[in-house]
Amino acid sequence: MGQIAILLLVVVSGMGLSVEAGLLGPLGEDVGHMAATLSIFLVGALLLSVALVFAPRRSLSNLMAQPRWLLTGGILGPVYVIVLTLATPVIGVGITMVGILCGQVAASLVIDHFGLFGTPRRQMDRYRLSALALILVALGILHS
Amino acid sequence: MTFLLFVVIALGGGVALATQSSINGRLGDAAGVLETAWLTFVLGAAISFLLYFFFEPPHAMTLFTAPKWQLIGALFGVVYILVSVFAVPRVGIAAATVAVITGQLSMSLLIDHFGWLNNAEIPLSPARYLSIALLAGSMALIYLGNRRKA
Repeated sequence: MGQIAILLLVVVSGMGLSVEAGLLGPLGEDVGHMAATLSIFLVGALLLSVALVFAPRRSLSNLMAQPRWLLTGGILGPVYVIVLTLATPVIGVGITMVGILCGQVAASLVIDHFGLFGTPRRQMDRYRLSALALILVALGILHS
Repeated sequence: MTFLLFVVIALGGGVALATQSSINGRLGDAAGVLETAWLTFVLGAAISFLLYFFFEPPHAMTLFTAPKWQLIGALFGVVYILVSVFAVPRVGIAAATVAVITGQLSMSLLIDHFGWLNNAEIPLSPARYLSIALLAGSMALIYLGNRRKA
């Protein structure tokens, strides 16, 4: 699969993520933020459990054989959703997203640059610096 | 003050998200995309259940009485995790991050504009269009940079 196709796929999944955020805000107000977070993970876990049973190839033993630190991704997930549910009612979906994406962009450039978490190194270059500049301008515009 | 505090909290959420995507991408390469997404949601469910069980004050409504359409957010979450586990090892975390935020921003501005999903209505201005264009531009730049090195 080409890079462009993969990137477009990610863009579309990102759109879905905002729908999720838009649903979680009001839901959290009604039933509580922790409950709203729980609903996301519980429904997701159940759906994926069913999918796993019927998947053509699957290996949970391979999963459990990985080093422990690789298995911690799920711990950070609730942190993110809790942030969404707490922040959206107070500062709005748009600004919450801006804050989150600032953190994301900064962290992801650092992770790529140093090849953290065993990922391949993709160092800062002129393209990435320009991209960062564009993002900052975009955020400045949004905020003004 | 409250505003600033929540912006900082949102920043921290972003760092957590990038870290998770990166770790998950690595795990997905080693142990499979579906398996990784499954683990993410099972662990996430375990932790959020504990948080809910011990820390949630009582509410008038519960998950069982809330309108079911409000609960479909999980579908989007599942798709997102599957896609990101697949994409991150292939394009790098920075490119994936900029792509996902381009999608997030376009959609969140639409949600604000139309007040969809019971959110407050915030009209779409030319500045907001411009910011989406700039994000798309930054995605293109990272893509070009990646391609030059490949």
